[in-house]
Amino acid sequence: MAEIEFERRLERLFAEAPELSDAGPFADRVERRLNTGWQTRRWLIGAAGVAGGVIGASQLIMSNVFQRLENAGDSARVLQQGISQITPHEGWLSGFADGGAVVWVASALAIVAMGFALTRVIEEL
Amino acid sequence: MAGATPLRFANLHDVELCTHAATGERRAFGELVRRHGSAVRGLLRRMGAQVSEADDVAQDAFLTAFERIAEFRGEGTFAGWVKRIAARSYLRRLQREKRLGMFGSETLENEPEGRVAGDADAAIDLDGALKTLGPAERLCVSMCFGAGLSHAEAAEALNLPLGTVKSHVKRGLEKLRARLAPGGAVGEGRRGNG
Repeated sequence: MAEIEFERRLERLFAEAPELSDAGPFADRVERRLNTGWQTRRWLIGAAGVAGGVIGASQLIMSNVFQRLENAGDSARVLQQGISQITPHEGWLSGFADGGAVVWVASALAIVAMGFALTRVIEEL
Repeated sequence: MAGATPLRFANLHDVELCTHAATGERRAFGELVRRHGSAVRGLLRRMGAQVSEADDVAQDAFLTAFERIAEFRGEGTFAGWVKRIAARSYLRRLQREKRLGMFGSETLENEPEGRVAGDADAAIDLDGALKTLGPAERLCVSMCFGAGLSHAEAAEALNLPLGTVKSHVKRGLEKLRARLAPGGAVGEGRRGNG
């Protein structure tokens, strides 16, 4: 028998592995381990998120951010008044109740953007 | 739920299942394990792993394959890809447990021929024939012809010189050729061992 022919036959024999009787339970065990790993990963990400949220919230409170936001609101109000003096005929900023609303809307958009980014990161993981 | 693989997965090609698995669909990957688990476990047993050890290594290999599924580009078969992962994983295990040292020897004694005994009706019994090979020959032949590694890749994985691997393969092939040839030594070996 030619050498190459025998080697091909050997490859075929290796490829023709018999189906084992416990193929189903084996696959179930692997799937279970996959699911366990996935759940663990989700819990870890969730726990990390909660911890990060708690730390972030505590930092916000500790740094008097709300006081600063009010100050920023006042500044925005002053800025709006200045702009309305410069462009008295244009009412493009009149849609906002006051400068404080602008700050809160911007904050809300930032939070939504962060949430979107976090979701993408979790999906990538 | 176990055993309740959706029909849509059962009808898909391996490459399509890999695409689903790459998006995190674990049941699609479960279908791949269902299809190819026996082949991977069989290869590990042929490499010389005990039944429970082969199952452990195969499980780890499939989990690794799931983690790295994005690397599988559909060049070659999924089964071949996982077999290579499993073979390398088994070798790492042998290295960790310091069971690879003996494979460097060129003059390794074979296992007793009596282990060939098996189903008397089987005309061609690769598993039985492999048992007549020495551990190093068996490992090298299985890696090259079962897992599809080149001699160089096998040498690298085994941390052996290329020439040593080639001579293990050559000797192993000679023995297998004698055993698996029609009317060859399989029957003779069995007769010789009662």
